[in-house]
Amino acid sequence: MLFNSFGFLVFFIVVTTLFFTIPNRFRWSLLLFASCFFYMFFKPEYILILAFTIVVDYFAGILIESAEGQKRKQFFLIMSLVANIGVLAVFKYYNFINDQVTGIARLLGYANHIPYLIWILPIGLSFHTFQAMSYTIEVYRGNQKSERHFGIYSLYVMFYPQLVSGPIERPQNMLHQFHEEKHFSYENLFYGLQRIIWGIFKKVVIADRLAMMVDYIYKDPYPWHGLPILLAVILFAFQIYCDFSGYSDIAVGTARVMGYKLMENFNYPFRSRNITEFWRRWHISLYSWFNDYLFTPVVINKRAWGSWGVVFALLVTFSISGLWHGANWTFILFGVLHGLAVSYEFLTKKYRKRWSKKLPVFLYGRLSILITFCYACITWIFFRSTSVHQAVYMLKNLFKTNANGQYFYLGVAEIRGLPSTYMGLPFWQFAGSLMLIPFLFFSEWLLSGDNMNRFRTFPVYLRWAAFYIIILSVLILGVFDTKQFIYFQF
Amino acid sequence: MQVENILQELNLIFRDILDNDKISLSRTTTADDLEEWDSLTHIQLVVAIEKKFKIKFTAAEIQGWKNVGEMCDTLQNKLSPKT
Repeated sequence: MLFNSFGFLVFFIVVTTLFFTIPNRFRWSLLLFASCFFYMFFKPEYILILAFTIVVDYFAGILIESAEGQKRKQFFLIMSLVANIGVLAVFKYYNFINDQVTGIARLLGYANHIPYLIWILPIGLSFHTFQAMSYTIEVYRGNQKSERHFGIYSLYVMFYPQLVSGPIERPQNMLHQFHEEKHFSYENLFYGLQRIIWGIFKKVVIADRLAMMVDYIYKDPYPWHGLPILLAVILFAFQIYCDFSGYSDIAVGTARVMGYKLMENFNYPFRSRNITEFWRRWHISLYSWFNDYLFTPVVINKRAWGSWGVVFALLVTFSISGLWHGANWTFILFGVLHGLAVSYEFLTKKYRKRWSKKLPVFLYGRLSILITFCYACITWIFFRSTSVHQAVYMLKNLFKTNANGQYFYLGVAEIRGLPSTYMGLPFWQFAGSLMLIPFLFFSEWLLSGDNMNRFRTFPVYLRWAAFYIIILSVLILGVFDTKQFIYFQF
Repeated sequence: MQVENILQELNLIFRDILDNDKISLSRTTTADDLEEWDSLTHIQLVVAIEKKFKIKFTAAEIQGWKNVGEMCDTLQNKLSPKT
């Protein structure tokens, strides 16, 4: 069930209403049942995969906690990690791994007879397996008591607001919440609905409108040169931001209406002054997961290598986090580019600090933000492209002119009687869609911190008017062929 | 070594590694209190502390610290182990 669908609206209203009408002791089973229903809406038989990892991790948690001695604890932890990563490897990476085997075999003059699989990737697999692994790791580290209630543990893995695309939660944040009695509050309701509506607006109006132009170029970039390529690259940055942060807003809002607090996934990432800061503001739940469970153990293990140990840990972590997104070299390169940037920033910290003191603060700050944004856009070329070849083509043609020496050419050559289009759209739609970006900045400024508090002091009728305007805009300006969220496929 | 001395020594190391002369550690200081203290500089701090005091921490110890106070305690135990 997609968040941006009428079916989800009905589902959400029914589940939330039931949640507050039934006695507290039945609420976990309602949420678990609803989450199963939500998940099985995609491909019902895949619930067996979820059931498998839930059963393994439920018992692993108990066994790790009760085991005597480090070696036995480690054994059960490894059992859990192998089960989770194994499921991921089979359903997500099997064909990719087989591709590499074929490539290597060919180099050596052999044929690869291992068959390919045609299984569809289960929804949310990358997200809930990571959330489950965080549970067993935290139990192993002694930071979390094992959850003895099987239903509540299952709910931790399957909680529908975050099941499909995160935020990837931690047991310390979620398990206790599922044991608490949640009371209805208007504050939670309004805060939650606000987040949901704003998330839907970002996704259905901004992201999906920008996607129309971005997809037009990316589906076949080879006829294009210059400005259309540059625009597709820049617009994709805002598309993916609105798509994913919009999804995260809906997840946070949906949970909040029932009183559950999920972690934030985004913190104004385009304000980042360097790539290191960017990863503290973008997809926070994933990168803090990788930081705590991959980077930290590796960097501790390799600390005798000094700065190069840190670089090694960064490259390993970012490559794997790139690969997490999908079984393609483009995603690995995406990760590597970020690993290289963060490594560069780490190695040159003192040098850059000296530079920052030489330039006026105003200039250095703005320049840093611009450079960081440009670098992120370049890495997203790899993220969005279906092949390395395509990504390299886009990179090479960002600033090239076409065969007629034109850079600014955005339209298809005029066919007899038909008007030319601007990245696939009529001019007014094209211009209007571009205006969504300054509108996004303005709205985020409005919604941030103090401005939000000021908004709350406005008279009720003004606040309601604002909501109605946003809902109307969604209905009028929204793209309603229910485009999938980008992070759905991960 | 006394705990106060340990804290003073750590303060010097933090000031050097994090390149900030204004740092003044207390037992309750955490990474949230110091802008320059992140997962990247953390390992540099650990290495500097191990070098200075000529000891080695285990991975579990390093990952277990919640604040500077706990770092001091682990260090104290390593320097004067209970027989």
